[in-house]
Amino acid sequence: MDSATGTSNVLLSVKNLSKHYGSTKAVDDVSFDIKKGEIVTIIGRSGAGKSTVMRCVNRLVHSSGGKITFDNVDMASRMPGKTLRKTRSNIGFVFQHFNLVYRLTVFQNVMHGRLGHMSTFDATLGRYSESDKERAFEILSSLGLEEQIYKRASDLSGGQKQRVGIARALMQEPSLLMCDEPIASLDPVTSRTIMDIIVDQAKKRGIACIINLHQVDFAKEYSTRILGMRAGKLVFDDLPELLTKEKIDDVYGVSALEEGERAYAVGMEAMAVVG
Amino acid sequence: MLAKFFHRARPHGSKKDGYRAVPDEIKKQRRLYYIVIAIIALAFIATTVNTSFNPFIIFFNMENFIAFIVNDMIPPNFGRAVGLWDSLIQTISMAFLATFVGGIISFCLCFLASFQTSPSSVVVRLVRGLASLQRNVPTIIWLFIFRMTFGIGITIGFVALLFNTVGFLTRMFAEVVDEVGNESMEALDSTGSAYLPKLAQCVIPAAIPGFVSWLLFSVEINIRSAGIVGAMGGGGIGMLLMGHLNAFRYRTAFAFILVLAAVIIIIGVITDYLRERVLSK
Repeated sequence: MDSATGTSNVLLSVKNLSKHYGSTKAVDDVSFDIKKGEIVTIIGRSGAGKSTVMRCVNRLVHSSGGKITFDNVDMASRMPGKTLRKTRSNIGFVFQHFNLVYRLTVFQNVMHGRLGHMSTFDATLGRYSESDKERAFEILSSLGLEEQIYKRASDLSGGQKQRVGIARALMQEPSLLMCDEPIASLDPVTSRTIMDIIVDQAKKRGIACIINLHQVDFAKEYSTRILGMRAGKLVFDDLPELLTKEKIDDVYGVSALEEGERAYAVGMEAMAVVG
Repeated sequence: MLAKFFHRARPHGSKKDGYRAVPDEIKKQRRLYYIVIAIIALAFIATTVNTSFNPFIIFFNMENFIAFIVNDMIPPNFGRAVGLWDSLIQTISMAFLATFVGGIISFCLCFLASFQTSPSSVVVRLVRGLASLQRNVPTIIWLFIFRMTFGIGITIGFVALLFNTVGFLTRMFAEVVDEVGNESMEALDSTGSAYLPKLAQCVIPAAIPGFVSWLLFSVEINIRSAGIVGAMGGGGIGMLLMGHLNAFRYRTAFAFILVLAAVIIIIGVITDYLRERVLSK
């Protein structure tokens, strides 16, 4: 890394991360650092391992090897449940399919972002503090959802659902926000709105951001740094303006057959592991 | 298991005769149908011969059947049907109480019986196995077992119904929880939520329509079985009905039968309507 900022600003450090499903390597020896205030996008084909990297960082997926340092905790190692939950509560996560509880209202879904910060007793009974509720109103109106606060999540449009997902992540007051293909299920116009919201909010609140994307033009436009992954390996890690045509071809250039076979194999192994 | 299935479904498999594989499959399936039909036909003939059962006897003896109903059962004698309403209320209470208590027990067990929320797959198999045992052994068998140990009466009727209800509802509730889906649970995990808040704030709100629907269905089932359970010694309207039948007081028995049937139908209609309302929400 030849960045001017010192190592003390490193928020998340991933070293030699790997994840195997059987003999298939979904993530293969990936290392990178994320510094405070960075907006980093990860590009690459489907099955290149982008999503797996993210899920390893907050341990939704257990990594097979390497070191992931966040908040002085190694997320790649076993740890007590309490430590895991505390660290997770400091990482916001936005999903491609929004992952809301659709029978609940927008407000209730956003309040879920506080569960990790509360005692188990209060969280189980849903006894949120007044200041948390006020913050939820504030976040929802800053995302343009003040009209929808008491609507059911199932009654919203795709773009509105994703805004609720973002609001839930922001409620956590995270220092890192991870967005796993946040616009892959949305139309082009809504996609731009959502990207604007994510990047604006991250900058305004001083949250570092990692975004998985399929759209190279969006990646170049919004990020301060781009990571490119191919077949589980990190093949590009630099400033957006240095992502030339050749580099893009390098990231995406694996023959369709080879990549398809690999994605298929990863899926098969994953299914075999799950059952 | 799933992996195997996908391997077969793969369009460009390593099979040399990739295109002929499909017709072969269909041929095999058709042959299987023929074999199954042949087995059923043979079994029917064999059992008919063995029991010397004449399937047309019902039609031949239709006059006896009608004569019995017209001469011996009609009109129903409500005058001698002592204790009809009290015992009816007992039977309905027995069914509701079994559903209610069974619902509470199943609500606690179902989270252990669902792969989504259970702490381990061993616990899932254990709880599901227990539930299957309770459910698959008929209520009547449970009743006989309890009757031999505790004697007859409304209490053993209730316990027998409760046993089946717990088995049935635990399994159905667990399936409802399975269907809540991993996605929203994953989201709550990522916020750092603990296990109980995750159940309370995400799984239960999403599962409530399913829970209520199965609970209503269980009321219907239990009202129906409560009559039969009663007749076998479980107390309530069924027991009085059996007494009158055994004493050849068919007109009085008919009064009981009419009331019981009416109640079963009414409750069935009400619960069906409520289930529709709940599931549409």
